[in-house]
Amino acid sequence: MLELKNIWKTYDTTPALAGVDLKVRQGETVVIMGPSGCGKSTLIRCINRLTEPDMGDILVNGDSVLGLSQAELMAFRRKVGFVFQQFHLIGRLTVLENVMFHLVLAGFDRGWAEAQAAAALAKVGLSHVHERKPDELSGGQQQRVAIARALAAGPELMLWDEPTASLDPILVGEVLEVMEDLVRTTQTTMVIVTHEVSFALRVAHRIVLMDQGQIVEEGPPEVIFKAPVSEIGLKYKKLLVS
Amino acid sequence: MLSFFRDGFYKDFIVLLTLTILLGTGFSAGIAWALDAYFGDTLSDMIGEYGQYDIILHIQEASKEAAFRELERIRDQHFPGARLSETITIAGQANFFFGLPEELRTKEVMANLAAYFAAVPGLNSHTIISDPSILIRSVHGSVFDELAAQIEQLPGVKFAFADVGNMIVILEDPARSKELEAEIRKLLAEYQLVELRFPMGFEVDTAQVGEEAIRLLEKELPGRKYRNVTAAQYGEDLDAFLKTLVEMRDFLLSYASKVHITADPGVYLIVGEQIAIQAQSIRPLEEGGILTDDNVVIEITAVSGSEAEGMIIRGEIAPAMESLEQTGFRIFSDGQIAKPIGQVVVENERYRLAYAIDESLRLLEELEVLSVQANDAVQNADAVLNTFQEALLQLEVLQVQMRQLNEGITGKGASASSEQLLVTLLVNGLFQSLAQAAVQAGEDSLGSLENLDVAAMRASLDQISQQIANVQSIDVQAIINQIQYVRDTLPMLGDEEIGRSIRLINTYIAGQVIPGERIQIMVEDGQVDEEQVEKLLRSSLDNPYLNIYSTSVGVINPDARSEIFRLLTEVRAIIAGLLAIVFTGAILILDHATVFSTLKYLRRVSRARTSRWQRVLNPVLFLGALLGAVVLAAVYRLSGAQIPYLSHGTIALIGAAVGWLVAKFAERFSPVNVKEFTAGQALGLSNVQIMREIVIPGSRPGLMNLLNRWKQQF
Ligand SMILES: Nc1ncnc2c1ncn2[C@@H]1O[C@H](COP(=O)(O)OP(=O)(O)O)[C@@H](O)[C@H]1O
Ligand SMILES: [Mg+2]
Repeated sequence: MLELKNIWKTYDTTPALAGVDLKVRQGETVVIMGPSGCGKSTLIRCINRLTEPDMGDILVNGDSVLGLSQAELMAFRRKVGFVFQQFHLIGRLTVLENVMFHLVLAGFDRGWAEAQAAAALAKVGLSHVHERKPDELSGGQQQRVAIARALAAGPELMLWDEPTASLDPILVGEVLEVMEDLVRTTQTTMVIVTHEVSFALRVAHRIVLMDQGQIVEEGPPEVIFKAPVSEIGLKYKKLLVS
Repeated sequence: MLSFFRDGFYKDFIVLLTLTILLGTGFSAGIAWALDAYFGDTLSDMIGEYGQYDIILHIQEASKEAAFRELERIRDQHFPGARLSETITIAGQANFFFGLPEELRTKEVMANLAAYFAAVPGLNSHTIISDPSILIRSVHGSVFDELAAQIEQLPGVKFAFADVGNMIVILEDPARSKELEAEIRKLLAEYQLVELRFPMGFEVDTAQVGEEAIRLLEKELPGRKYRNVTAAQYGEDLDAFLKTLVEMRDFLLSYASKVHITADPGVYLIVGEQIAIQAQSIRPLEEGGILTDDNVVIEITAVSGSEAEGMIIRGEIAPAMESLEQTGFRIFSDGQIAKPIGQVVVENERYRLAYAIDESLRLLEELEVLSVQANDAVQNADAVLNTFQEALLQLEVLQVQMRQLNEGITGKGASASSEQLLVTLLVNGLFQSLAQAAVQAGEDSLGSLENLDVAAMRASLDQISQQIANVQSIDVQAIINQIQYVRDTLPMLGDEEIGRSIRLINTYIAGQVIPGERIQIMVEDGQVDEEQVEKLLRSSLDNPYLNIYSTSVGVINPDARSEIFRLLTEVRAIIAGLLAIVFTGAILILDHATVFSTLKYLRRVSRARTSRWQRVLNPVLFLGALLGAVVLAAVYRLSGAQIPYLSHGTIALIGAAVGWLVAKFAERFSPVNVKEFTAGQALGLSNVQIMREIVIPGSRPGLMNLLNRWKQQF
């Protein structure tokens, strides 16, 4: 469904991505792991062109994302749910508005959009906070609102960029729970960047290990964490054992 | 960047720009207008509305009420319908405005307006403030009527009239005032007043010398018209004052001690030099010594060969000394005594005067005694005259009796008794000869005695007595007292003080500051050169001290009110200009900085490779500069702003600079909320939607924020 071909991205002089090739099948859940600064975020943002790659190509269902016009890109992005590390909610809007506003702006009926939003919020267990403002919620709740927002349009692909990395450890669980539930109950293709090794082990169909802008190892979690070949893989194995 | 606008944001942007400019214009012009109105009102309170009043009467505060009543009376009697109002009182002076109804604003009324108010109690002065008008100051009297007639010929001029040496020209339309000013200036330039000034002390027959000068000018500098217009129209008081000063100096001079110096052979004295004499000091002066306070210092005022005159400028000679002869010494400025120069004779004029007065006093006292004595003498003479007359009468009786007796003795002897005979014999013996002699001689003497004119004598005696009485009726004592007073006060002014006063007066009247005699020549049909005339007249009139000044016959004075209002308009334009700049900066920071920072963010994250020049010269900065220039130039022009020395081009440049700076530091004023922005992007919103729903609502409240409400859905 998704295919990245020789993606390069250079900030200033050092490359953040140095020729990444990756294929993701329909309904697959791929977890990308790697040390900070290895280019995970850059990679995942390239998929919906929040970051523009310098070189290479991205194909979604056989169509080049890089070749899309502005309008086509917008339409494409509406089908891709993106969850940011720091939630990226609109501060001045209520929870419900945050979840529905892009649907209305996309031209959908307001009532329908509201129903969609309410359903999405129910799915993440936040039916009781519709009229709150984001800053009145806990970090975990905020991230769940962000997840609901990504879900509301019924995405074909979901991109997660370290959704739990900026949460208090005690709040991480509720978000991971929601995520795990989503992976199990929907057929949505998912690309998840995370450091949560056990979570990866449980939900990932495939683990991709990155280092210095390149994919160093990939495979099913049981293989990657049992018999890693890369330096990074060895480190994760050690982490898992402890 | 272009795509950003192409998306449809350009419509929003154009609306924003238009409204920005309109708002800016309203803001700048509005505030400036409000300030203007405020100041204008304050000013109007102080000096009345334009054209509302004709004269301000400055009146002593104490007489305010009385003045007001009188003004009301004058209004009711002479100017029905006139406006009268009292305004501010400053520094003990109340000010009343008086405005004539339009139909009374005629030349006749205006020219005499001040005269109507001459008797208002407490009136100090007045100021004519009719509008529109032009004030020409110090118009020379000799050309006033001529000039007024010429000015009245100018189209747009109603009439001109005199007001305390000035000419006030009333106009029909204030708009023509600048033009008319220029035309009047041209008329004034047709005349040139050339003034010949002689230093103080020169007695000049102005008429004769004036004619002479004109004759010379006509010959040497022909082609112009010359006219002697010498008038004491102004400076009369000054002239009088100067003459008084000269009189005073001469008086003081005659009163000061006379110093006469005879220089030793080989000694040359110069005017202004200072000489010391011993005077009352006990120690004689000697070369190398130091002057003491008892010594006298003399300044030489005139030198003729070895003889010199001087005056005492320090110290006194003994007041009771009529004159003094001593050796004079030169002195150095530090008071050290130098070489002797000759004999100095000081004659104390005041001593002489005092002496003369003393003598007069004595004379007066004598006179009084004398008149009493003379009176007694006249009275004695009168008594003598009476006695004499009586004696004369008895003598005549005796003479008759004697003659009879004599006849008796000689003629009728026969019939007489013996006693008779005895007596006759006795008498005959004794008296015959006597009587005979008496009769013969006495006839003559008595006759001559009788010839004396006693009446005439009496008349002249009466006259003398009358005159003596006159003398006695004079209050001689009062005169004596007065003269004594004069004498007592004489020594109060010492030589030193006199000398200093004279020097002071001399420096005062010798200076060019104060003119001496003056001749004024009016030049028409062309100008003459001051220096050329000076050279010509100095040599021809044989007076090297003659000075020539060329002046105008009148000076156009900007009318105070117009000037203030013009200034106010200027200030308003400047304020509007400054406000336009402030507004442009503010609106760019409040509104457009958001757009700039968003554009800059988009540029940074866009895939499009930027060319090298674009990286150096960021197009967003150019957009900022363009916007700044457009907004400021438009607001500036529309609000009628005008800052001196700044052209519209410069203003546009300032706008560009402000815009460039705002774009340059846009992130500081309005940072992009990258998280919300990328959220919008990730949710498939267009840039315009992101602007409308995320960026603008999240930015500072401003015009853009306000306008956005129309389109904003959340
Ligand atoms: N906007 C950016 N400008 C410059 N360098 C960046 C930017 N984003 C990321 N990088 C650099 O690119 C590299 C990869 O970053 P990132 O993809 O965020 O790593 P990760 O998400 O794996 O921690 C890092 O060295 C980071 O410093
Ligand atoms: Mg990252």
